[in-house]
Amino acid sequence: MFGLIPALTTIAVVPWGRPFLLPSGRLFEPIIANVNIGILLIFALASMGVYGIVMAGWASANKYSLFGGIRASAQMISYELSLTLAAVSVLMAAGSLSLPDVVWRQTGSFVLFNAVKLPAWNIFSPAMWIAFVVFFVSAFAETNRLPFDFAEAEAELVAGYHTEYSSMKFALFFMSEYMAMATMSALITTLFLGGWDIPWYNEPPNALGFALSVIAFTVKVSALLFVFVWVRWTIPRLKYDLLMKLGWKVFLPLAVINIVIVALFIAKRWI
Amino acid sequence: MIPTHWFLILSAILFTIGVCGVLTRRNGITIFMCIELMVNAVNLTFVAYARQFHQIHGLLFVFFVMAIAAAEAAVGLAIFISLFHHRHTIDVDEANLMRW
Amino acid sequence: MISFIIFFFFAAVAVIFAAMVVLHRNPVVGALSLVASFFALAVMYVLLEAPFLAALQVIVYAGAIMVLFLFVIMLLNLQHQAEPHTRPVQQFLGYTTSSAFGLALIYYLAKYGVTKLPDGPFVSDARTIGIGMFQAYIFPFEMVSILLLAAIVGALLLSGRTGVAKNEETS
Repeated sequence: MFGLIPALTTIAVVPWGRPFLLPSGRLFEPIIANVNIGILLIFALASMGVYGIVMAGWASANKYSLFGGIRASAQMISYELSLTLAAVSVLMAAGSLSLPDVVWRQTGSFVLFNAVKLPAWNIFSPAMWIAFVVFFVSAFAETNRLPFDFAEAEAELVAGYHTEYSSMKFALFFMSEYMAMATMSALITTLFLGGWDIPWYNEPPNALGFALSVIAFTVKVSALLFVFVWVRWTIPRLKYDLLMKLGWKVFLPLAVINIVIVALFIAKRWI
Repeated sequence: MIPTHWFLILSAILFTIGVCGVLTRRNGITIFMCIELMVNAVNLTFVAYARQFHQIHGLLFVFFVMAIAAAEAAVGLAIFISLFHHRHTIDVDEANLMRW
Repeated sequence: MISFIIFFFFAAVAVIFAAMVVLHRNPVVGALSLVASFFALAVMYVLLEAPFLAALQVIVYAGAIMVLFLFVIMLLNLQHQAEPHTRPVQQFLGYTTSSAFGLALIYYLAKYGVTKLPDGPFVSDARTIGIGMFQAYIFPFEMVSILLLAAIVGALLLSGRTGVAKNEETS
């Protein structure tokens, strides 16, 4: 329960299509809650997600489950920092905390190195490459997916924090994990892959454009979900101290360096 | 719109609970959590007055209070870990080495 | 009307869970109650037209500081260690002193506190707060960043294994 609710709520602030005018003249915005602190809300609720795991591990009164909970708390705290700092780069470029503004900034196209014409998505901008890698890898750690799934690590901890749970309670844990995965994919899509934007195509501001943009958003999220599962079956689990070392000594400095790079790009008006 | 003094009274109640905890408990970490509770009660007062007088300064002070509370939590918990390594307890009455 | 209901509900949540922190003997339950109390306070901030601060409250307090507390409690394995009861004299003095203090606080708030409603909505979005912070309060901001750096160094020094080993050798 405590794990599932944050995972479900966070998706409310992600826009999933192009806004268009209804025949009645009202602007239809395909987003559940359009608040001007959208991304902060996501991080606030994502940080609450760790309590579900920690409480589950602690309440089991089982030493392996407790280990799973402790590992999850340490891991999510360290990776949330780099996740947030990587998102800060995008927010600096967009100049807003609201996710629809972030998407609107990524519509249209730009020319990279005077050679190729690319959509103006954040991932194609040279300033965002480090941020994208940091965000993507931290997203794996934040959702406890396989190269970093130390909360459950079946080779070491039986099944970690959900060893003692079965039937519907176990299903709730698994649903919350997969919902968190879907939310993370939607967030990566919105921040780096242009949200509902279709490359090299200017969506008309009507129902057709809306439908196309929803399809584009769904395709991008599904592709990212595929990558999540793909990585799970490809890359083996790290060692726990390597995970912490990676988070604090590699990703955190990289994210901070990238903020400086983005600031430089904004100052030079390249972005 | 909810009157400001209701928030102030809520903040006073929370602060009192925090004071009560600091005075009556012996577990170091619980005392520390009560201090965090008092800090939060004061934060609520800051925000309530910021809305009352339409001043942004109250909100900015809440930022600084949060940053200082984070620093305090890090150092305080490190002290308790160190105490636990030495004494195998975090009862504050046991930490009496400096007492004359 | 609905905001009054929300206020009373979350005020009750905040007070009850705060009382749990003081009264419950298990520190893990205390920490989780404190998280609930902080969450209720974040709702209070939303009611006070400061949603930005509410998000920050959840991120910093509920998301970071309390996870740190929980981590330390679980690391030291404190939940099995029975906390000895406080002496009855201290308990009695603590409860009476704090309730007298609280009553005095509420009395003076009721007597001298502001009772009129604020006029008009209060703008406190990220832009206003940022401008205020980086213009008027830039010097305190830098001081806080230095303080945080000092706290990191201090925490590392205090909890580091080498320091402990050295102290044990000398003592």
